[in-house]
Amino acid sequence: MKKFIFIVLSVFVLSTLEVIGQCNSEALSNQCIPKLITGFNFLKSYKIEKGAKEFVEYSYVFTKGTQYMINICAAAQPTDGIVVSLYDSNRNKVATSKLNGQFISAIAYPCNTTGIYYIQYTFDGSTAYCGGSALGFKR
Amino acid sequence: MRIVLIGFILAIFTACGSGKKTDEQAFLEDLDSTKVEGPTISEEAIGEILQQIPSPLEISMLLKESGKKYNSTFLNPADNISKYNSNYKKALNLGVYGTDLGYTNIYEQNQDGVKYMAAIKELADGLNIGQFFDIETIGRLATNSKNLDSLLLITTQNFNSINHYLQTQQRANLSVLFLTGGWLEALHITCEVATANPTNKQLQETIGEQKIILENIKLLLSFYKDTDQNMASLLADVEELKTIYDKVKITYTYKESTFEVVDGVMMIKDNSTSTIEITPEDITSIKEVTSKIRSKIIS
Repeated sequence: MKKFIFIVLSVFVLSTLEVIGQCNSEALSNQCIPKLITGFNFLKSYKIEKGAKEFVEYSYVFTKGTQYMINICAAAQPTDGIVVSLYDSNRNKVATSKLNGQFISAIAYPCNTTGIYYIQYTFDGSTAYCGGSALGFKR
Repeated sequence: MRIVLIGFILAIFTACGSGKKTDEQAFLEDLDSTKVEGPTISEEAIGEILQQIPSPLEISMLLKESGKKYNSTFLNPADNISKYNSNYKKALNLGVYGTDLGYTNIYEQNQDGVKYMAAIKELADGLNIGQFFDIETIGRLATNSKNLDSLLLITTQNFNSINHYLQTQQRANLSVLFLTGGWLEALHITCEVATANPTNKQLQETIGEQKIILENIKLLLSFYKDTDQNMASLLADVEELKTIYDKVKITYTYKESTFEVVDGVMMIKDNSTSTIEITPEDITSIKEVTSKIRSKIIS
C-alpha cells in the first residue's frame, strides 16, 4: 500500500514540476517584436510550442509588393533548433531559415504574389521545443 | 486514507483529461453544433481562417507610400457612433473605425486620430472589450509624430488582443464582424483613391487582389447564416460583391526562390510571378457595391 501511495505521489510531483517548467511562448513571442528590423511594422506574434504534431503552423495573406519579415526567439541562442519555413497557397516552399546546417533567426521575404501563405515552424535538434516569433511588413 | 488516495487519482486523471481536444472530438462537436445556436463549425477552425485576414494598415501604408494625399472625406465620421446600438453594428464599426484610425495614424493626422480613438474606446466598452484598448498610451503617443512606430505597434497589439480575447470567449462572431468591417473600409478607401487616380495600375491590382480575402470573409460569414439573421443579410451583400470579383482573374506562376544571408537575416528573392486581370468597369462595379454595403454598415 505504501509503495502505491509513493508511486501516486511521485506522479503528482512530477506533473507539478512539468507545469512549473512549461514553455512561456507568449513571453518569447513578445521578445521577438522589438527584434524586427527598423522599418518593419509589426503585424502578428506567434507562439511556438510543440504539440501533438511535429510542427506548428499559422497562415496569413501576404500582399504583392510588400516585404515581410519573420523572426524566431528561443531561450537558447540562436533559435534552439527552431526552423521557420514559408509555403505558398499551393504548398510550394518559398523560404526557409535553415541554410547549410546553419539556423538563421530571421527571414525577409519580398512577396511577388498575393495569396495565403503558411508559416510553418519545425524543430531540428531542439531542446525545449519552445519559442516565439513575430511577423512584420514594410512597403 | 483510501478516500484521499482515490481523490488523488481522480485529480490526476481529471488534470490529464483537460488538455487539447482530439481531432475526433472536435469533428463530433462540429457535427453537433448544427443543433444549437452558433456557428456550424468549431471556433478553432474559425480562428484559423480569421488569422489569415491581413491588417488594413498594409493598405493605408500602400496609399501613403504611393504618394496619395490624406482625405478625411473617405472615412466614416466619428460622430456616427451614436447610431450604433446593437452588438452587430458595434462590432462592424469597431472594424471600420480601426481602419480609419490606422489611416489617420499613417498620415499623422493626430486631431482626426483622437476622435477615432474615442469612438473606438466607446464601441469597445460597449462590447465589454474596452480593457484591451489602451487609450491613454495611444493618446500620448499620438501627440508626437516621432512616436509613429510605437503608435502603430501598440494599436496593432491592442486589436490583436481584442481578436484573441473574443475567440477565447466563444465570441468569434464579433471577431468576424470586426475584421469584415475593417476590411470593407480599407477596400472602400482604396476604391475612392483608385477612382481619383484612374491610371494607377498598382491600386487597381490591389483592388483585384482583394478577391482572395473576400473568399475568406464570405466563408466566415457563411458559418453563421443559419443562426444570425444580420450575418446572413451581410453574407448576401458580400455574395453580390463576389459575383463581380468572379470576373477578376489572378494567374500565378511558381518558380523556386533564391536566397542569401545578409547581416544575419535570410534575404529571400521571390522568383514567382502573378498577374491580375481587372478592367476599369470591374473597378467601377466593385466601388459601387462596396459603397452600398458600407452605407448599410455605417448608417
